[in-house]
Amino acid sequence: MAKEILTLDNATTCTSWNISGTRLASASADGTLSIFDSRDPSSSSLRSTFKSRVLEGNIVKIVWVPPEYGDAVACISADGIVSLWEEVAEDSQSLQWKMCKSFGNSSGKVLDVQFGISSTSLKMVAAYSDGNVRVFELLDPLELRNWQLQAEFQNVIESVSAFGKASCLSASISWNVQKGGSQESSFLIGFNSNTSELNSSKVWEFDQAHQRWLPVAELALPEDRGDQVYAVAWAPNIGRPYEIIAVATHKGLAIWHLGLNPDHDGRLPVERVALLSGHQGMVWQMEWDMSGMTLATTGQDGMVRLWQSNLNGVWHQQAAFEPTS
Amino acid sequence: MPSDTVGNGALVPLTGDPPAVYPLHHGLAPPICRLSISWSRGNTLHLSLFSSTAAKVVEVKLTSEDQEIPDAHWRRIAYGSVAPFALLQSRRSSLSALLKTPSPYHSDWWENVLQYSKEIGSLLGGSKLPPSPIIEDSKTIVKRDEEPTSLKAAWELIEIFYVDKQSQSWLPERLVDWLTDYDSLFTSTHETIHGKLVDFQKELVNIQVIEDDSRYWELLSSALSVGWLDIVVKMLRLHGSYQLDQLSKRELENGLVETVATVISKMPRLRPESVGKLGEFYKSKADFIKCWEKWRSQITKLDCSPFWIQCDNQQTVDGLRNLLQIMLGNTDSLCMATCFWIELYISHFLYIRPFTMGIESMSNLAQKCIQLKPQSNTHRLAGLMVGILEENTEVVLAECSREFGPWLVAHAIELLTAGSEQAEVLLHEERYNLGGISIVELHRLVYAQILSSHALTWQIAPIYLSSCVKQGMGLLENLLYRQSVQHNNVLLKNIEICRLYELDGISSNIMKIAGVYHWKHGHKGAGVFWLQQAQDSSCLDRIAQQLFDSVGKSISDESFKQWEGMIELLGSESKPAGGLEFLHKYRDFKKSLQKVSGGKSTELARQAVGSLMLLMKNPSTPQRFWLPLLYDSLKLLNWKDCPILGVSETNLLLNKLQDLSLAKLRPYYTEPSLPPDALSSIRLALATNLGRAILDE
Repeated sequence: MAKEILTLDNATTCTSWNISGTRLASASADGTLSIFDSRDPSSSSLRSTFKSRVLEGNIVKIVWVPPEYGDAVACISADGIVSLWEEVAEDSQSLQWKMCKSFGNSSGKVLDVQFGISSTSLKMVAAYSDGNVRVFELLDPLELRNWQLQAEFQNVIESVSAFGKASCLSASISWNVQKGGSQESSFLIGFNSNTSELNSSKVWEFDQAHQRWLPVAELALPEDRGDQVYAVAWAPNIGRPYEIIAVATHKGLAIWHLGLNPDHDGRLPVERVALLSGHQGMVWQMEWDMSGMTLATTGQDGMVRLWQSNLNGVWHQQAAFEPTS
Repeated sequence: MPSDTVGNGALVPLTGDPPAVYPLHHGLAPPICRLSISWSRGNTLHLSLFSSTAAKVVEVKLTSEDQEIPDAHWRRIAYGSVAPFALLQSRRSSLSALLKTPSPYHSDWWENVLQYSKEIGSLLGGSKLPPSPIIEDSKTIVKRDEEPTSLKAAWELIEIFYVDKQSQSWLPERLVDWLTDYDSLFTSTHETIHGKLVDFQKELVNIQVIEDDSRYWELLSSALSVGWLDIVVKMLRLHGSYQLDQLSKRELENGLVETVATVISKMPRLRPESVGKLGEFYKSKADFIKCWEKWRSQITKLDCSPFWIQCDNQQTVDGLRNLLQIMLGNTDSLCMATCFWIELYISHFLYIRPFTMGIESMSNLAQKCIQLKPQSNTHRLAGLMVGILEENTEVVLAECSREFGPWLVAHAIELLTAGSEQAEVLLHEERYNLGGISIVELHRLVYAQILSSHALTWQIAPIYLSSCVKQGMGLLENLLYRQSVQHNNVLLKNIEICRLYELDGISSNIMKIAGVYHWKHGHKGAGVFWLQQAQDSSCLDRIAQQLFDSVGKSISDESFKQWEGMIELLGSESKPAGGLEFLHKYRDFKKSLQKVSGGKSTELARQAVGSLMLLMKNPSTPQRFWLPLLYDSLKLLNWKDCPILGVSETNLLLNKLQDLSLAKLRPYYTEPSLPPDALSSIRLALATNLGRAILDE
C-alpha cells in the first residue's frame, strides 16, 4: 500500500504539500527551495520544476499560501527569517518563482507562520521567539508584496500579567479553516517556552466591533497551564455542533471539544474529551484528514500514529506505522 | 503492508486490542531523524522520511478494500453500485414525502430493498448459469462455475436474513444453497467438505476400485450431510457394482446401492422447485411434513432390511448404512461427516430439525454446533454469521466494516434496516458523539472519503455525500476545495458538481482560485474570465487598478494595443464590477481620441468630448486619473475651428481641477507622471476654451 513517489537528496530538511496534493515543496539545509509537480491529476509521479537558493542558511519549515492567493510558499529559516516566494509570469515573461516579501528578525526569530482567510483578506499569523504573536494582513489580493501589521500581542489571557524576557523554542499555530465566512475568523496558538504564561494553547478570535484579536478559550486544565506545547491542530468541521482541537504536550495528546456559542464573558466553552499517550517524547506534527475524523501524528519515537473516535466518542489509537528499511 | 486493511473505516473498535502496527518500508539507511505527514484527498497520507543520507516521500493509501478483489474489479463494483444506491435513496425520499412520516417503512418497502440487493449482488459476480445439458465427464464430481468471493457470500448472507421476506419460510434451505455456493471459501482457513472433494477428484483417475477406498465412503456421507444430493448420487453411481462385467456377480450389492441412491434423490425439501436439483419439493409445510414422515419411515424400514446381511461386501454395507444414519439424523454421524461448525449447522437443518423456524432457536443451535466443532481460527464469514444469528446489528456492522471494508458497510446498511424498526432506530438515530450524525451517515461519509482518495472514483463520492443530510455537503466542499484547478476538465467537473448540489459559496471560491491561478500564470484573459465568474469584485478592482497603472499616460503610448485587448476580454455584457466600467469608458475615449488625432473632423472631436465627459462625470473614475485624462484631451480643448466644449462642460472640468488641487493637500496623494507643465497647460486650455465658449453662446 505504501508507494514511494520521490527520493530527495540528503540535505533535505523539510517538505510541504499544497492543498490539492499536486505540488510538493522541499527545502534543504543550504537554503535551497525545490518544487515538484505531478504530471496530471491522476498520477502521483512528480517532476522537478524549480530549484534555487532562496535563503541564507537552513530552511526548517515551508508553508503554502492558500490557493485563493496564488501558488506561493513561505520558507522559515533556522535564523527565524520568513521568505515569501511566489510563482508568477510577469509581463509576458515565462513562469518563475520570485521572492515577494521577507519578514526580518529585527525583533526576535519567527518560529512558525500560518495563513488564514478572514473577512475576504489573507492574514498571516507569525509566532516569534520572544513570545510575540503578530498578525499581518495582505493589502492587495493579487499582490503578495504588500503586507501590513494588523496586530501584535502575546499569547496570554490577562494582558496585565508581567513576566521576564521570554525565550521560546518552538510554537505551533493552527487556523480554523472556514468556507462560509459566517463566523469570525479564529486561530489557535501554543508555545514551547520558558515562560509558563505563554505556553498554553489559546484560541484567538477577531473582534470586528473593536478591530482587535481577543483570546476566547484556553485549552489547558488549570494545573497544566504552564505545560510546554509541542503541536496544535484544529480539525476541519464539516457540520459538527462543536469544534475538535488536538493539543500535544509532554503529558500526551489531548483532544478538546470547543463549543460554538460564547458565554457571557465572550469565552467559548471547552472540554477535554481525551488524553492519549502513544508517542514517547516530543510530538513533531499533527494533521487532521479532510473530514476531521482521523488525526495523524508523528513524534520523537519515529512512528506515525492514527487516532480516531469510536461510536461512543472514545478516542483511541487506530493504527501506527513503523519505518523500517 | 499486510493484506488486512488499516483503519478500514472500522470506527468501531471490537476489542481492547493494541492498535495494529504496520511496517513502512523505505529503503533508507537508518536512523530516520525526522518524519513529516500530510493528508491528501480522502484517505491518502503522504509521508516524508528524512535520514542523514537522503529523504523519501511515500504515499500511503490507508484504506484498501478487500484484497480478494483486484482494483479494477473494485472500481467496477464502485461504479456499478451507484445507480441502485441512488435509486433506492430517491424511492425512500419520495415514499417518505408521500407518507409524510419520518420513517418510510411500510410493508412493501423490503421489495424495493430486495431489488436493490439483487442488483448489487449481481455486480459482485455473474449469475449462476443453469446446468449445461451437454454430456459431462462422469468423473467430474465438483464443478466450478466461477470463483466465488467472500464479499458476494457476505452480501447474500445478509440478504437471506434481512431482506428476502418471501423466502423466510424456507430459510434453512436458503442456507443450504448458500453453503453449496460458498463452502469452498472456507477452505482458506480450515478443512472443508468442498476442499476434500476437490482433493479426492484429483486422485480419482488413479483409484482402481473406488468402493474399497475409505475416503469414498467418508466423502459420500460428508456430501450427503450438507445436502449435496446430486454429488452423492453421482458418486454412488461410480460404485464398482455398476460396471457391466461386475453386474451379474454383485447384483444384490448393486441393488442396495441403487436403492439408497433412489431414496436420496427422493428426499423431500421445503422449498420452491429448483431446476437441476435432486429431491422432491414442497411449498406447503403440511405437505412437506407428511412426506418427510413417510420418507423417514422408508429409510427406517430399509435400515432393518435383511438384505444387508446377505450382502458380502462389508465396506459397501457399512458405507451405505452410514448414509442411512445421516438421513435419519444421527448426531454422531453428522458430526463425523462434517468439517466445521457451519457444515454441521446446515446438516442439522436438513436431517435433525427440518422444521426449525425462528431466529432464536437458530442462534442456540449455532452455539451448540460451535461447541461441537471448536476452531482455532474463525473465517470472517463465520464471524458475520454469528453476528447475524445473535441479532446484534452493531456486531454485524462491525464485522462488515472490519473484515470487508467500507463499501460493504455503506451498502449493506440498507439491507439491515429493511425489516427491522429497531435496527432502523439504532442506525438512523443522531448521536452527539459522532458529531450529530447517525451511524448510517457516518458509514456513508467514510465510504465517500475512500472514493475521494482515487482520481478515478472521486466523481462518484458526491452521490453518497448528497445522501448525508448533516455533514455530506461539508465534506463535499472540502473535497472540491482540494481539487486542483490547473486542469480545465477537472475544474469544469468541479463547477458542474457545485451547480448540481447548489454549493454557490464553494463554487465561487473555486472559480476565484482558478482566476488567480491563471492571472498569476500569465493567462490574463482566463484569469479575468474566472474572476468575473466568481464575481470577485476586489480582485477585479485590483486588476482594473493595475490596468490604470500600466496604460495610457499619453495618447501616443504604444501600450494602448496591449490593454485594449484586455478590455475586450473583460467583455461588455459582463457585469461591470467597479473599475471595469471605468475601463470600458476609458477604452471608448481612447479610441475616439485616436480617430481624432491627425484628423480635422469636428464631428469626431465632439464624440471624443462626449466620451471624456462621461468619464469625468462618472464617480467610478479614479481621481488620480483626472489629470492624465485632461492632458490627453488637450487637443480637444484647443480645437482650432471652434470650441467643442460648452460652458457648462468646461465649468465641470474646471471644478474637477479645483477638487484635484484640494486633494493634493491630503496624504497618500500620488502625483501622476506627467510633464511638469501639464497642469498649467490644461488650465490655460480650459480657460481659453471657456472664453471661446462664452463668446460662442
